[in-house]
Amino acid sequence: MWDYFKIFSNPKKFRERGVLGMNARNFFIIGRNNKRSLYPLVDDKVQTKTLADRININTPHKIGVIEHQYEVKDLLKIVAGHEEFVIKPAHGSQGKGVLVIKQFTGTEFTTASGKKLGFNEVYQHVSNILSGLYSLGGQYDTALIEELVHFSDAFQNFSYQGIPDVRVIVYKGYPVMSMMRLATKESDGRANLHQGAVGVGLDMRTGHANNAVSHNMPIAIHPDTGADLMTLQVPMWREHLMIGALAYEMTGLGYLGADIVLDKFRGPMMLELNARPGLAIQIANCRGLKEVIKNVDKHYPQGLSAQERVDYVLNHAE
Amino acid sequence: MKKKIFSVRGVLAICLVLAVAFAGFATYYKIAHWGFSFKPREGTEIWTVDAHISFMPTGEPIEVSLSTPRLGAEYKILSEDVVAKGYTVEKDEKNHRMIMKSGPKKNEQNIYYRIMLYDNEDVIGKIRDYNQPKVKKPVFASEQQQAMVEEIWALADSKKEGSDASKIIQLLNDEILEPEVDAFLPVKKSQRIMAEKIIELLSFKNVAARIVRGVKISEKRREAPADLMLEVYENSKWMMYNIETGVSGLPKNFVVFQRGGVSLFDVVGGRKSEIKFSVIQSAVSSFKMAGKRAKYENSKMFDYTIYNLPNLEQNTLKWLMIFPLGILLVVLLRNVVGIPTMGTFTPMLVAMSLVRTGFWSGLICFTLIIALGLLIRTLLTRLNLLLVPRISAVVIFVILIMQMLTILGYQYNFRIAASAVFFPIIITAWIIERASITWEEEGAHNATKQIVNTCVVAILTYFVISSSYIRHIMFAFNEWNLVILIVVMQLGTYTGYRLVELKRFAPLIKE
Repeated sequence: MWDYFKIFSNPKKFRERGVLGMNARNFFIIGRNNKRSLYPLVDDKVQTKTLADRININTPHKIGVIEHQYEVKDLLKIVAGHEEFVIKPAHGSQGKGVLVIKQFTGTEFTTASGKKLGFNEVYQHVSNILSGLYSLGGQYDTALIEELVHFSDAFQNFSYQGIPDVRVIVYKGYPVMSMMRLATKESDGRANLHQGAVGVGLDMRTGHANNAVSHNMPIAIHPDTGADLMTLQVPMWREHLMIGALAYEMTGLGYLGADIVLDKFRGPMMLELNARPGLAIQIANCRGLKEVIKNVDKHYPQGLSAQERVDYVLNHAE
Repeated sequence: MKKKIFSVRGVLAICLVLAVAFAGFATYYKIAHWGFSFKPREGTEIWTVDAHISFMPTGEPIEVSLSTPRLGAEYKILSEDVVAKGYTVEKDEKNHRMIMKSGPKKNEQNIYYRIMLYDNEDVIGKIRDYNQPKVKKPVFASEQQQAMVEEIWALADSKKEGSDASKIIQLLNDEILEPEVDAFLPVKKSQRIMAEKIIELLSFKNVAARIVRGVKISEKRREAPADLMLEVYENSKWMMYNIETGVSGLPKNFVVFQRGGVSLFDVVGGRKSEIKFSVIQSAVSSFKMAGKRAKYENSKMFDYTIYNLPNLEQNTLKWLMIFPLGILLVVLLRNVVGIPTMGTFTPMLVAMSLVRTGFWSGLICFTLIIALGLLIRTLLTRLNLLLVPRISAVVIFVILIMQMLTILGYQYNFRIAASAVFFPIIITAWIIERASITWEEEGAHNATKQIVNTCVVAILTYFVISSSYIRHIMFAFNEWNLVILIVVMQLGTYTGYRLVELKRFAPLIKE
């Protein structure tokens, strides 16, 4: 019977390793550093994008926004001249309601999977977004039309379909921890760890893989592609960190998660921000977040610019 | 930064101490003064004692007087009442007698005196009295008689143990009497004669004693004569003695009607008068009696408690009073254990329904509704409806499922299905909607896991709120809800690991 309790580890060991628990995250970190009034800045992708443009954070260019049902008929006018684009709900999460158009000929839309859609079907999709079909609370939403990201080939072997992205946790403006999330067959192209995606912890100085997990267990190779995960190296690492550091300036959130994808032509681009990033990143890095955060509070200098902070991390991060 | 949280915790800790102290005191007060108890359904015993006086009128004006129990520490009087047709009833408060008067009557007369008593606590038969009673020294007709008494005392001292009274009572009740005793006692040994003889013997030793008449209240008593006991003055106290065994102390459930020289009852203008006692026991809920008890204490406080409300409101509040404990459990399971459920208080609402439906039937029925609902919801997904109409459709489907189950349950005499109506419709619809979304987004495995989690928390909550013991305590001692409130707030500052995290983060500490 006692064997059952062995699955629970001694909390003392966690404390020693500086593991951050959910209660402590909510109480000490989110409760103190993230003002509620700032949440809409990151929950609404349109607002996030507007702010990001102002501060020169790289994001997919906005093509247009549809806020009201009567504007839906203007869709053709908005996307005129664009061959490819993405329509997504401003308040969506986990990729729900995202329609990727690979080819638009003026009358016909071809999706990423090759399905051909007529105007009416796309019109219906936008209409659904506005009615809140894809936002969890069911509130009225806005449809955001933006440029298609051309994913870099750098991670081609590391992901089974889907979009690999880098999650950077930023504490008080300092990027403190990061991981790359790789889709698997099991996660169905999605990059959520609890759905079976692979998490690869990244070294803060170099952007090189230092650990990898799947379903909380350490792994060395990608379960579907067989790629050696320890050889993973994120190119343009400094630019990735810069996006994270600037996101702090942009939102004022003391604790945030930035989701970054790498574009073939334009480099790292911020896709979305999260005011309540999860704690699975600790497992991917095999490292406690509290320990790092304590270090920031104690030793990291204050009042630096985003550039200086990134440089500090690149030189001093452990 | 750190200090701030400590002060929050500090304030809460002080609040907790105060709340516990208050609740503790209130609990003590309610038990001691209002007679509340920890056990549910333990009513207060109420004894209804009927004294039935019957006599034949002699044709003269009638006056009947009866010595009545007085308000004492031994018991409390709920009500007293006289049933005597055609009599004027008066109460002589000073002498504790009921006086019933009437003109001449012809037929056999029956007068009933009824008294309802409660809290008949054992006061060990001690009544403090600092007025030393006077003892009538016995006057002996002859020296021989005095010698006999002396001899009896010598026998008592040598053969029996205990106090003087105890010794002499034991001696007089021996199965085979000593020859001296036998000679002393008359041939006819009624209770009364024995008592008088004991008093006589005690007076020789200068010990005051008196006869006490009353009723031993036990359920079996029907139309029985009064019981007789002896009160002996010892160490400034009147001690009660059983005249048959010599055991001191008031027997449990003994109501004293009359003490000392006065008569138990007198009938003027009647003959063949008789008094018989009957006892009926009944139980009344402690809450109903609490008000009566509070009145004895002149406590206004009771008026402002829930127990003074009409029954309907009391029952509603009784239902509400259990919630805080359920909420505490939910908080513990979410923030300390870390079980993710669908909706924060959904499990509690499900648990409440289970209380009404019964455990197994409710659980089976609930599972059935959810399963059917999910099936229908999958079909709805294909229609690609908007959220509000979609959830509304689910709500209506849930209502229809409930209707169907209830009708089928009735037709086929299948009780389980009939409990369908007790589940909250909107909550059930939301569970189906959330489960369906989880199913689509995170897979069947996660959706099932969440439903199972919700059910597990609901079942745990059910066991807490369905216990009649816990429900009684939370209602009777509702101050503890204040303690729960502070504990819940304290948990709001709990920043330690959740139990499930100890498993989740385990890879972090494996080298």
